[in-house]
Amino acid sequence: MSRSHASAGTSGADGHASPTAGTTVHVRVLRQDAPAQESYWERHDVPYEPNMNVISVLQRIAAAARAKDGRRVAPVAWDCNCLEEVCGSCTMLVNGRTRMACTALVDKLLEENPEEIELKPMSKFPVVRDLVVDRGRVFRALERVQAWVPVDGSYDHGPGPRISPEQQEDAYPLSTCMSCGCCLEACPQFTKIEVHQRSGESVEQLAQRRDEAYDDGFVGAHAISQAVLFNNHPTGKMIADERMTALTAPGGIQMCGNAQNCVAVCPKQIPLTRSIARAGRAATVWAIKKLFDR
Amino acid sequence: MSQHEPSRSFFYRNQFLIYRLFSLSGLIPVGAFLVVHLLTNASVLGGAGAFQSRVDMIHSLGPLLVPIEWAFIFLPMLFHATVGFVIIAGGLPNVGSYPYVGNIRYTLQRATGMIAFVFIIWHIMHLHWLGTPFGGGKFDPHHATSSAATALQPLGISLLYAIGVLSAVFHFANGLWTLGITWGLWTSPAAMRRASYLSIGVGVLLGAAGLGALGGMRSTNVEQARAIETRMEDVKHMLDGQGGAGNAPAAGTALELPQLKLTPPLP
Amino acid sequence: MAQPRVLVIGGGLAGLSATMRLAELGVEVDLMSLVPVKRSHSVCAQGGINSVNSLTRQQGDTEWKHLDDTVYGGDFLQHQPPVKEMTDWGPRIIDLMDRLGVPFNRTPEGFRDQRRFGGTLYKRTAFAGATTGQQLLYALDEQVRRFEVEGKVKKWEFWDFLQPVLDSSGRCRGAVCQDLVTMQFRAFPADAVILATGGCGLVYGRSTMSMVCTGSAVSRAYQSGAAYGNGEFIQVHPTAIPGADKLRLMSESARGEGGRVWVPRAPHDPRDPREIPEAERYYFLEDRYPKYGNLVPRDIATREIFDICTTDGLSVEKDRLCVYLDLTHIPRETLDRKLGGILEIYEKFQGVDPRSVPMKIFPAVHYSMGGLWVDYQRSASGGMEEGAPKNQQTSLPGLYAIGECDYQYHGANRLGANSLLSCIFSGLFCAPGVMAASGSLRTLAAEESKGLFDAALRRQEERHEALLARRGGNENPYTIHNELGDLMTRVATVVRRNEQLASAYDDVCQLEERWQRCSLSDTGNWTNQNVVFTKSVGDMFPLAKLILKGALLRDECRGAHYKPSAAMPGIAATEPSAQRLEAEEWCDRFEANTRRWLKSTIARHGADGHPQITYEDIDTSLIPPRPRLYGLVGGDVIEEVWKERQRKATAAQAESPRATDSALPVGAAS
Repeated sequence: MSRSHASAGTSGADGHASPTAGTTVHVRVLRQDAPAQESYWERHDVPYEPNMNVISVLQRIAAAARAKDGRRVAPVAWDCNCLEEVCGSCTMLVNGRTRMACTALVDKLLEENPEEIELKPMSKFPVVRDLVVDRGRVFRALERVQAWVPVDGSYDHGPGPRISPEQQEDAYPLSTCMSCGCCLEACPQFTKIEVHQRSGESVEQLAQRRDEAYDDGFVGAHAISQAVLFNNHPTGKMIADERMTALTAPGGIQMCGNAQNCVAVCPKQIPLTRSIARAGRAATVWAIKKLFDR
Repeated sequence: MSQHEPSRSFFYRNQFLIYRLFSLSGLIPVGAFLVVHLLTNASVLGGAGAFQSRVDMIHSLGPLLVPIEWAFIFLPMLFHATVGFVIIAGGLPNVGSYPYVGNIRYTLQRATGMIAFVFIIWHIMHLHWLGTPFGGGKFDPHHATSSAATALQPLGISLLYAIGVLSAVFHFANGLWTLGITWGLWTSPAAMRRASYLSIGVGVLLGAAGLGALGGMRSTNVEQARAIETRMEDVKHMLDGQGGAGNAPAAGTALELPQLKLTPPLP
Repeated sequence: MAQPRVLVIGGGLAGLSATMRLAELGVEVDLMSLVPVKRSHSVCAQGGINSVNSLTRQQGDTEWKHLDDTVYGGDFLQHQPPVKEMTDWGPRIIDLMDRLGVPFNRTPEGFRDQRRFGGTLYKRTAFAGATTGQQLLYALDEQVRRFEVEGKVKKWEFWDFLQPVLDSSGRCRGAVCQDLVTMQFRAFPADAVILATGGCGLVYGRSTMSMVCTGSAVSRAYQSGAAYGNGEFIQVHPTAIPGADKLRLMSESARGEGGRVWVPRAPHDPRDPREIPEAERYYFLEDRYPKYGNLVPRDIATREIFDICTTDGLSVEKDRLCVYLDLTHIPRETLDRKLGGILEIYEKFQGVDPRSVPMKIFPAVHYSMGGLWVDYQRSASGGMEEGAPKNQQTSLPGLYAIGECDYQYHGANRLGANSLLSCIFSGLFCAPGVMAASGSLRTLAAEESKGLFDAALRRQEERHEALLARRGGNENPYTIHNELGDLMTRVATVVRRNEQLASAYDDVCQLEERWQRCSLSDTGNWTNQNVVFTKSVGDMFPLAKLILKGALLRDECRGAHYKPSAAMPGIAATEPSAQRLEAEEWCDRFEANTRRWLKSTIARHGADGHPQITYEDIDTSLIPPRPRLYGLVGGDVIEEVWKERQRKATAAQAESPRATDSALPVGAAS
């Protein structure tokens, strides 16, 4: 493997290039102080530690609060929580690709690009600050497709419906979707919608206007997959018609362009394109039925 | 919930229907026409007579040909192209960041769609009678092979045709695959893979047909072809008991042709 | 009169189930969380959720046995009525979650599949793949989203709870909170405030807990006067993957499948572990426990791994405590077949293939059994009275605590797969009581005088401004947090020694003073994570102090709290009559210890900043305490003696004319 003069790394014991203690990891972060402000690049050097991931790099950056040139800077803001790749918080563009920062291992990233690690906020969501973006649209989409089982309530009505192991195995992967937004970030059909507060507009008015704007846009692979999940649940399918109405509304399933990036970047390997195709089939049947039942 | 603004555009309100019609139109009639067109053209490999007889068959529609052309070819194509451009405008290709096969296909689908659109406009101007006022319309249905061969003789023109035809073929074959996903014909990754082979097969066959036709035209001996065509026309007129021959009526005169026997004599 | 309004802080399993039930009862709910509720720490729970089920019932299992396993596992340190109510509700809760669409694993016939977890003989644990917590949370999240769409719930995500607002009578009337994006403060008047903010793992620096588990909300309630129970009881998981950012759970099955635990004999040997010859490796478990080897019980493994690194200084790495867990002698195919999933997790986060390179592991703080002290109303049948306003209420009226942040269900140690149950149960169960409490108030909080809230708002704004304005200090909050975490991990986890605890208490006080001199690297007022983190670090000290002091004072071994000085070893004698004598002595000592220490530790925040510790008797009326003897040498003899004593005691009680009403009820209700 060819290696440049970058100070991060000499050849590791196990053959491939891996940096050793005492070296430095160069990091380039695309920062933005607040919405509607200019973004700018900032460089940071972080002492290399074995088994580092991007989260620990960001933790070191926050603790040091100094840019590469020695300037005191505010810590880079970013979202994270579980650090086990189940909560879906820490999505960002690492070396240009959307992924979870907690499973982005520094050693692997330096194999991709020995010079530096590049961190950018997701590009399809409004930046709140630095690497923090507003992913409200991800959750709004779940409301659009009514991604829930419409139960009567929490009072005891005995067990749920019987479900075969095959059905469970089919549903389970879909149910592991953590709303991280990777599928949306990588989707060429999913484009950014950013709504800024107008002067004199209340927070509630803004929220309503934002939701309306979101509802015009593509609902996204994750929500389509959730709709499929609930439409296949014995109780969930009781409102299947409403979900089909949502899926065939403007911004619905028809917006899919079959690039299939969603499934390629999904950190949970959820069969999103299978869900999309199933939703497509259901929409075909549903539309024809609607045509003739009317 | 989504009725916050009732005065939405027609296009917006009927997005699903329009996109599905768009998808369908890519197969029927536009795609189907492409298949017929390329296979018809490829018949030139069987000789100028073979091609001429197929052209004659099409033109036997007589006065119906123009409305049929518009209803089943030009308008659906325009519809497909218009919606296609709206879709392309709404997307944001990112094959640089995500160089996956699916994404490359997505990007190529859009690129080939645009190339095919430009090509088809030019192609119509170049060969179809609609292009006559602009110095095109070089195809003569009575001298199908010879007129086409003459028009395609310049190498540059042939290259443009090769690019255009291959773009259209890719667009169709790949579109066939995405159509199957859109309508839910193939849903599992394994089925999609199998469908992928199918679409590759279709693409290769059609591509071969298209390039074959092009090659066939280019390698045609124009004089010989013309002789065959003239002879066929004479026979035709003879059978129909009408005089006059050979004065190559440009386009519209096809209308004057009476109904033709289904099995014209071959040389 | 206005509609009752309740503020729920925290959107994990407990917070969401409370929100769902309250909304269903017609209460307007404000649901607040540091993160979108779907990203709460509950997603991390892997194993499953316990309850009696139709299968185990036919094998002789009952709710009562589940109660017994829970209190025995918790070393009898919990009040039994709430636990009884919880285990009684278990089957109903699983049924509910099943109806909500949780994809529980299925049997070939389509019933829920169950597996067996530690601490019980029955297959009580329902599970959904390896992400049961995530699946349960999502089901509740979906229901709450449904109520949100209907306008019954309003979510406040990326908001931080700063303090409860108390009126002159000490009743909680709402809270002051901060928007973590705009950094604006806002008062939330409420008829009741429910804290469902989870554990406090970050007091230990790195743990298996998520980054929001700072304990700050609980600490703020505690500093406002709420009592804290059993703080010193912290569960440590024996095997975790030590990462630079957090410690990730590694299933114990790796040891079960033949993994060997060792350290290099030379401290911090820099060589590749594969190049260290056998003679220079110390297989300390095999060496110290020749009979069990690497399969020593969980608590012993935890202590030995911990001790070899801290006391013997033989940690593999210099600045990070860890030992090798070696699977490389096992054929790859065997490993893939038996441990595939967990090895992939290791590979994913460490980037190293554990099939060819020994894994590095270390015990990790995993769960806080302690938490805010909460009350309950005992029912006639020995459970909890549903709908009683004081259920789950902290010592501050109107302030409730549920889930991991209450102290109520797990005693001195938590049974595997019981945490998810306790979270959902306490959330669902508290709602009717909370509603009853709101209805009975003479004046509703919304009509309370504005002055109360304005004063609280001002106080928080001033604290915030003061932090931002702090200049000149050169202390770094991140460094202080690391130091606090290292200190707490060293002295207040697996093995506890009084001299260490005492000196650590002083060290924590010093760290707290240094924290006062922290200067911020971000003084802005937009998504300032720096100031939020600094505040939460400041709020860790009161918790650290109550943990340390509670541990220092409790001179015994109970559940997760182990002091070598107070350990009660097994029987040394070999001759039967001497054994018998020793067993009698052992039982005497056990009884004396029970009288002295079977009490909840109650900490209150003193005006001087130090915790005031008192003790509270425990309701053990359902199941009398008995010794836990697993793995103890001579345990059988002790058990025999113990049973004799119990028989005598029962006989005496039967003869006694004044039999109390706390006698054991017969079997479990329902």
